[in-house]
Amino acid sequence: MDDQGCPRCKTTKYRNPSLKLMVNVCGHTLCESCVEMLFIRGSGNCQECDTPLRKSNFRVQLFEDPAIDKEVEIRKKVLKIYNKNDSDFPSLREYNDYLELIEEIVYNLTNNMDLENTKQMMEQYQRENKEIIQKNKIKLTREQEELEELLAMERQENEQRRLLQIKEEKRQVLAKKKNKQALLDELESSQLPATLLLAQHKDRAAQLETELEKQWQTVKPTTFSTGIMMGQKISLQPVPKIEEVLYVYKPIHVETYGPSASRPGESRKVWIPEPCACSVPTRPGRGLHLQPCLSPRHAGCVQWTLLTVCV
Amino acid sequence: CRLNIDGLLVYFPYDYIYPEQYSYMLELKRTLDAKGHGALEMPSGTGKTVSLLSLIVAYQRAFPLEVTKLIYCSRTVPEIEKVVEELRRLIDFYEKETGERSSFLALALSSRKNLCVHPEVSSLRFGKEVDGKCHSLTASYIRAQRHSDSSVQTCRFYEEFDALGRQVPLPAGIYNLDDLKSFGRRRGWCPYYLARYSILHANVVVYSYHYLLDPKIADLVSKELAKKSVVVFDEAHNIDNVCIDSMSVNITRRTLDRTQSNIETLQNTIQRIKDTDASRLQEEYRRLVEGLKEANVARETDVYLSNPVLPDEILQEAVPGSIRSAEHFVGFLKRLLEYLKSRLRVQHVVQESPPQFLKDAFEKVCIDRKPLRFCAERLRSLLRTLEIADIADFSAVTLISNFATLVSTYSKGFTIIIEPFEDRTPSIANPILHFSCMDSSIAIKPVFERFQTVIITSGTLSPLDIYPKILDFRPVTMASFTMTLARACLCPLIVGRGNDQVAISSKFETREDIAVIRNYGNLLLEMSSVVPDGIVAFFTSYQYMENIVASWYEQGILENIQRNKLIFIETQDAAETSMALEKYQEACENGRGAILLSVARGKVSEGIDFVHHFGRAVIMFGVPYVYTQSRLLKARLEYLRDQFQIRENDFLTFDAMRHAAQCVGRVIRGKTDYGLMIFADKRYARADKRGKLPRWIQEHITDSSLNLTIDETVQLSKHFLRDMAQPFKEDQLGLSLLTLDQLQSEEMLKKIAQIAHQI
Repeated sequence: MDDQGCPRCKTTKYRNPSLKLMVNVCGHTLCESCVEMLFIRGSGNCQECDTPLRKSNFRVQLFEDPAIDKEVEIRKKVLKIYNKNDSDFPSLREYNDYLELIEEIVYNLTNNMDLENTKQMMEQYQRENKEIIQKNKIKLTREQEELEELLAMERQENEQRRLLQIKEEKRQVLAKKKNKQALLDELESSQLPATLLLAQHKDRAAQLETELEKQWQTVKPTTFSTGIMMGQKISLQPVPKIEEVLYVYKPIHVETYGPSASRPGESRKVWIPEPCACSVPTRPGRGLHLQPCLSPRHAGCVQWTLLTVCV
Repeated sequence: CRLNIDGLLVYFPYDYIYPEQYSYMLELKRTLDAKGHGALEMPSGTGKTVSLLSLIVAYQRAFPLEVTKLIYCSRTVPEIEKVVEELRRLIDFYEKETGERSSFLALALSSRKNLCVHPEVSSLRFGKEVDGKCHSLTASYIRAQRHSDSSVQTCRFYEEFDALGRQVPLPAGIYNLDDLKSFGRRRGWCPYYLARYSILHANVVVYSYHYLLDPKIADLVSKELAKKSVVVFDEAHNIDNVCIDSMSVNITRRTLDRTQSNIETLQNTIQRIKDTDASRLQEEYRRLVEGLKEANVARETDVYLSNPVLPDEILQEAVPGSIRSAEHFVGFLKRLLEYLKSRLRVQHVVQESPPQFLKDAFEKVCIDRKPLRFCAERLRSLLRTLEIADIADFSAVTLISNFATLVSTYSKGFTIIIEPFEDRTPSIANPILHFSCMDSSIAIKPVFERFQTVIITSGTLSPLDIYPKILDFRPVTMASFTMTLARACLCPLIVGRGNDQVAISSKFETREDIAVIRNYGNLLLEMSSVVPDGIVAFFTSYQYMENIVASWYEQGILENIQRNKLIFIETQDAAETSMALEKYQEACENGRGAILLSVARGKVSEGIDFVHHFGRAVIMFGVPYVYTQSRLLKARLEYLRDQFQIRENDFLTFDAMRHAAQCVGRVIRGKTDYGLMIFADKRYARADKRGKLPRWIQEHITDSSLNLTIDETVQLSKHFLRDMAQPFKEDQLGLSLLTLDQLQSEEMLKKIAQIAHQI
């Protein structure tokens, strides 16, 4: 990436590491100082493609390929207008067609193909769908909502963990202190020999340790038993009413040519196909042969017989 | 002999049996009966493999409807071959005993590199090249082209197999890799595809872990294996790391540069095809619009990259409209690539979760989550449509698309860490993006869910209870077996002090301490004069080893050691290491013995055995903790703490101790073998470290072998070595080696019941 440079003054990142490359709507690069010099009046034409540009539209080039900068810029603009959700479409197929249309528009605008028509189309679309665009502006898409939710959950978990840790540490320190103090008190007042007291203390300390460990292992639940996250906002919108024809039960009638199905409890004869007793003629020659049973008696016999190697 | 294991008739191909083998089989039978999973630890060199095979094969024969297949996963090709040989012996024994030809089919499966018989392809050196070349000869469109144009090259072995191989199953028998190859040559069939096809109806399949754990290959090879299979992971002490590696992606600047050129090639190819044969792209486009799943999934040779575990309901959905046409998809890839490039241009370390990454991607380059999910799938379809023969070139873009799919699919258990430089060289910019899996249960979950019984077994699997936690499964049996010995042939000693009473330890504060280094040197020097034949010494890292050896050289210790034995050193270079190993063995054969300095977690510590005189003593210098400053490790520790309630220290100690056990376990490879195990660090004497060693080592650590000084160690080892050097008559019969009659005695059965240590 060090070989990136300004096409006008030929400075490269290698020679000047603090070089800032800028890019405008046409997707051609200039370095910051060249921009200052050329666009001192606030507007001018691009060096390479003569597009009229404004100085205020210059931005720092984010990507190595300035075409991507341009494309992303255009894409953001287009997505502002074409901001329908998949819930605005009756089927996934149509939504996908819509997505492709967006791609098409972005592609055309970036590669300067069919500019007039595309722009007209966009304007027309904007006029026709004003309301939806306005409405969707505020709304996030479902995917983004999901992401936001995940992020919020993560933040919450981190925060909780931090608090819990602090609390836990405090409690541990406190408990240890208390234990120590108790030992001192006992040594002071008790009649028992010191070794015994010390041993008792040691036991207690060990107990405390295991207790703390146990406490550490119990984790605070973050979900209800139903799997719903605690602290999740539940939308209170009424469930959309679906109006359709109600289902009517019709008993199934199946045409069969075999014996009629028996009712439960009734004994019935089960027909088991007898194994085919025919012998398959061995073919001469080496190797394995896989042959169907060719017996004329059992017309329905499709049993395959695997013969071992015959020489 | 024939054994009666809990009511099951088991043919065991040897005349004698170790008591622990019997106990192991009992435990195994219980697991199979319960149709659950199990974790079993049994020391190496006690015939784990043969016990596993003979019990499961017997079970298969007794209950052919309950257990249909045994899938035996091992780590390396030599291990796979060993298993097949053991199995061959077992089946021969069956045939001899029952007197009938068995219809048993068992085979090993490995990569194309190990199985290819095509004269040109198999001469290539690297696995990737072989795969790429094979693919360029066998892809379905190449073969279709051949119909119209006979100058197109195809692989005649594959053609033959495709024409005939599928109708006739592989004849019953036991096939190792060479058998498959010679069978393939004889018939003119491709052994690789023959093996892949035959595993569907084989009774026993032996292959590498990756065929089950790596989602990119598992889907391809092991998709259709039946539920009623028994899966065995042998040498599974590192299974969690295998799981994690198979789901992680590392992206460097170089990857991105190669991706760039890949995308350019894609673009040019699309342009060319558009000019010449536009209908092909339209056909693909139409298919994607219809939302049809790949119609030709079944064409086994075409698979470029399989989907990294995508939920099925997503796969059923149509590819989103924004990446439906080829140009748009290439544009999408370009945007993704530029975004990644801009992310790699950081000055400081960034750590974020997948949702944060996705949100940032949306804000910066307007990439939604959904098309990202389909990225891998879409790329596969495109590569196929473009009929690009050599996919090896496209590994970079494949990697990126896999990353895209993974990052958008999993929001938990993964983390993204971007480091602008390596910690050791902060002045050299070498940006790298780690997409790291922190939850080893993700990769192995499908295995546990799909198969009826999964057995995890190894020589060192202690502490056993941590494995179910980190792999997130419920075992029905967990047991650790000890080695029954006629003589105490292993002698673990924990050296805590030098002769000058300075505590020796590899902990960070005393790492540079000259006294510790000198004491380590003295220990090695003393041992080299006491121990006959080979000594293997393990250090905690390459860096540590270099430091110590340099300072030994300065102090003249190295010279003194060399008066006793030759010294060989393992390096990071594989060729150099194997050379050193070879020479080490040669030196051991010559009588005076040698010393091999190597590194825990290195190549020598995993999978190289030092039987008999190749290793009479192993010295573990320090506790092999993993490099704890690594951000990946920190993230994983944090995750383990939050999700599985495993404390950082517990996991680190567990990891260090399993590697230490793995290292010292290299010397005892059987009951006639003997060896010293010297733990040179005072921290080993602590109960929390010692308690995490395998039970079969722990049992031999007495209070008198804790915290020794160097001269005490020398005294004890002299004594031990002199004892062991006495001719060992076969008096283990009846104690640690049983005949059938002895096995059936009441007393012995009672003893055996104590071998297994249930947890």
